[in-house]
Amino acid sequence: MAIDPGSAAMNGSGRLAGHAAVSTLRTWWIVLRIAIEERLVYRGDFALGTLMRFLPLVTQVFFWTAIFDAVAGATGRTTVAGYTNREMIAYLLLTQVSRAFSSMPGLASGVALQIRNGEIKKYLVQPIDLIGFLLASRVAHKLVYYLVAAGPFALVFFVCRGYFNGWPEPQILVAYVLSLLMSFLLGFFLEATLGMIGFWWLEVSSLLFVYMLFNFFFSGHMFPIDMLPGVFGTVVRVIPLQYLAYFPAAVFLGKVQGAELVWGLLIQFGWVLFFVFLCRLMFHLGVKRYSGFGG
Amino acid sequence: MAIIEIDSLAKSYRVYQKQEGLLASIGGLFRRSYREVVAVAGIDLRVEVGEFVAFLGPNGAGKTTTLKLLSGVINPTGGMARVMGHVPWKRENSYRRRFALVMGQKNQLWWDLPAQESFRLHQQIYGIDPDDFDRRRDELVDLLQVGTLLAQPVRELSLGERMKMELIAALLHSPEVLFLDEPTIGLDVVAQHSIQAFLRYYQQLRKVTVLLTSHYMKDVAALCKRVVIITHGRIMYDGSLSGIVDQFSGHKILSLVFPGDSAPHGLERYGEVVEEEGPKVKLRVDRGNITDALSSILAHHAVEDVTVEDPPLEDVIAEVFSQAGSGTEAEVARPHA
Amino acid sequence: MSGISDPTFDNTAALPVRPSYLRVFLTFARNSLVRDMTFRANFLIECITSVAWMGMNLGYYLLVFQFTPSIGEDTGWGQYQFLVFLSTTLFVNSLVQAFFMPNCEEFSELIRTGNLDFALLKPIDTQFLISLHKVNWSALANFFFGGALLAVSLTNLSYMPSPIQVVLYPVYVICGVAIFYSLMISLAATSVWLGRNQTLYEFWFYITNFSRYPMEIYRGEIGGPLRWFFTFIIPLLVVVNVPARLLAQPFDAQNWPLAGFAVLAALAALWISRMIFRKAMLGYRSASS
Repeated sequence: MAIDPGSAAMNGSGRLAGHAAVSTLRTWWIVLRIAIEERLVYRGDFALGTLMRFLPLVTQVFFWTAIFDAVAGATGRTTVAGYTNREMIAYLLLTQVSRAFSSMPGLASGVALQIRNGEIKKYLVQPIDLIGFLLASRVAHKLVYYLVAAGPFALVFFVCRGYFNGWPEPQILVAYVLSLLMSFLLGFFLEATLGMIGFWWLEVSSLLFVYMLFNFFFSGHMFPIDMLPGVFGTVVRVIPLQYLAYFPAAVFLGKVQGAELVWGLLIQFGWVLFFVFLCRLMFHLGVKRYSGFGG
Repeated sequence: MAIIEIDSLAKSYRVYQKQEGLLASIGGLFRRSYREVVAVAGIDLRVEVGEFVAFLGPNGAGKTTTLKLLSGVINPTGGMARVMGHVPWKRENSYRRRFALVMGQKNQLWWDLPAQESFRLHQQIYGIDPDDFDRRRDELVDLLQVGTLLAQPVRELSLGERMKMELIAALLHSPEVLFLDEPTIGLDVVAQHSIQAFLRYYQQLRKVTVLLTSHYMKDVAALCKRVVIITHGRIMYDGSLSGIVDQFSGHKILSLVFPGDSAPHGLERYGEVVEEEGPKVKLRVDRGNITDALSSILAHHAVEDVTVEDPPLEDVIAEVFSQAGSGTEAEVARPHA
Repeated sequence: MSGISDPTFDNTAALPVRPSYLRVFLTFARNSLVRDMTFRANFLIECITSVAWMGMNLGYYLLVFQFTPSIGEDTGWGQYQFLVFLSTTLFVNSLVQAFFMPNCEEFSELIRTGNLDFALLKPIDTQFLISLHKVNWSALANFFFGGALLAVSLTNLSYMPSPIQVVLYPVYVICGVAIFYSLMISLAATSVWLGRNQTLYEFWFYITNFSRYPMEIYRGEIGGPLRWFFTFIIPLLVVVNVPARLLAQPFDAQNWPLAGFAVLAALAALWISRMIFRKAMLGYRSASS
């Protein structure tokens, strides 16, 4: 044959890659749009849900104010675990923002379910990457959520502005935004990884419950993890959960600064990479195992 | 006096109309449009004690809605109905004890428990005397031949077996009126057959009044002398099954067998050629022309055999339904803020 | 055929007996237990997870009490008093979750799928049938957890409740359950008008969150009206507060008005929920499958 098979393949794959990139973008855009439309249909649920999310916070504000009153009355101190009353409430408000980025309702259980009922097959035959697809639809969900939630969030923070000492410095703000974006990625890939366990175990709901339990208490969502004494405190500082809620809030409040801040961001980035890699690896191994069974 | 009396009964719904497209979806957050769907557009009907009546109609014609209205599950938007003297949507317990509704698409038995547990529950809820309960259950179980399945969780039963259990549950309290909504839907031929046989036997034995909706003409042909055709929420026909053909079909099927290996040409002028196989030809001929066509054919061709038949019932009914489908939509669109 | 002589036309002819609601409920409870026992592993996991969840909560409050002697100044809610409060929360919540939560959740689902049809056919009170037809036995694990916690807390309290306090306590726990139930069934009934109601459980969690803390913490220009609203308009605050205070703290004359109000609130809540339920049943559309 006259044509060099190697170069033909090279040219072909180059063009194909270009086409593939465009079509991938188009696919993502369609996924995004469908997800947005789907979410907008149920407006009643939506508006109500967003508003409700702030109700526990109201209770928390009163709860902590009562605690600080009691502490001041008994000992005369004005701080608990290094937080003043204002800082504590500011912290709890900020973890709401962290959670708005890092929480992934239904992701892990959805993946596990798709594996279990065989729906995953369609991603194995279609030219679409499951993890990419999930990420796109999750971004869409989040975008729609922010669209609707921006109003309530702005309102709540405006009402509660007295708990903050104004805006932080620009470089802190940049670090804060970075940590939030990474908390989204960390949350996504961590939960996706958990969902992949479904390739090996049919029933992952108990595991997910344990994760949810630890996430709720040790990500700093419920209380600042500085409060935890002894070995608990040490362990919670080592595991990645704190980057889902505590870390971004602490950055905003200036609790983490200078070299510690840079290290914190680097470690968070490291965890993101770790879970991106782990998620891919488990998907790869899982699909292999799945195909081994003949689906 | 009729056991079921229905006077200009009507039901319409307002449904949210989803908008196509992203911008429209966002618009939907603030402004939604609804449309009025008329499910039952005013029907009148009398049913006597012991009748077995079939409701026929295309999907969405209002058959199921009518049964739901008569069961008191939903409220009408107009008109009146009385079953055994009760207004169904008043939902009186004294009425509820005297009828049953069986739906092929929905099941009421506890999914994870053996059917007999659900039967026990029915006994408690309907306040059935324990001796009566045992006697009726045994009788029904016997008739439907499901004795060995009583102790199996319902989720492990086949669709046909489950339907039989649903029937037993519905009949334990000896209802005088029975509403059956697609009782054989999705079943295999054997299961369909045994449920038909059971219904026919049980209805004749107990003189229960039965209203049935079904997609299967076989159900209707096997069970009902009286057929009511509903399209777009209105009654189009009420009478015997064979009467449908007389009323709605303007054609007859003329089957001819010619001598030799093939049929002659030019038969199209007598009617539409439906089928042609060697010397056998089936012609669809207008009812009015049948004698002219036949004498003309016999005059011009040698014919070995001739039969004149009504077109198959299924075809006639399909035609009635499809004509109804091309009619005007009984819906009014209106935006709603 | 003459209508008058035909027995089918006589509405009074030999009607079956009225059902015994107690026996029907016992059959529900029994059937639920039989079902739970067929999925024993699942049942066990549910028990463990719900106790684990409350264990973590307990840990959180114990952590908070490492930093403070009480919740609020001079409110009387020290560590062990608050643990009595927490066990009361456990009692009320576990009872609601065992008897009503699965049913109310399913109720929305029944409305959405049109499977409510069957409930409407039965010659028995529809609200009774809907509210109680399943029992989630595993939720009672937290009831026993609450019992253990109550025993430990009471032995660590310096004072002993009087017999009348002990007798009234379960009465008020039941009042609390009645208020929660009324709210929950009313919320579920709104699915008739709102369509899909996925956030029901979330909404429930968020709104009952107010009842989880002593009402004394709601102070100040916002807290005051909030306390008033959740006491007298939507009586969430009396659900746990009244029985818990009754048992954990000396009971004096100033508590009587609120205690009396709690009974009235429970009755009113039940009555209103029944009105809402009836209204919802009139609006039911019976979606086709």
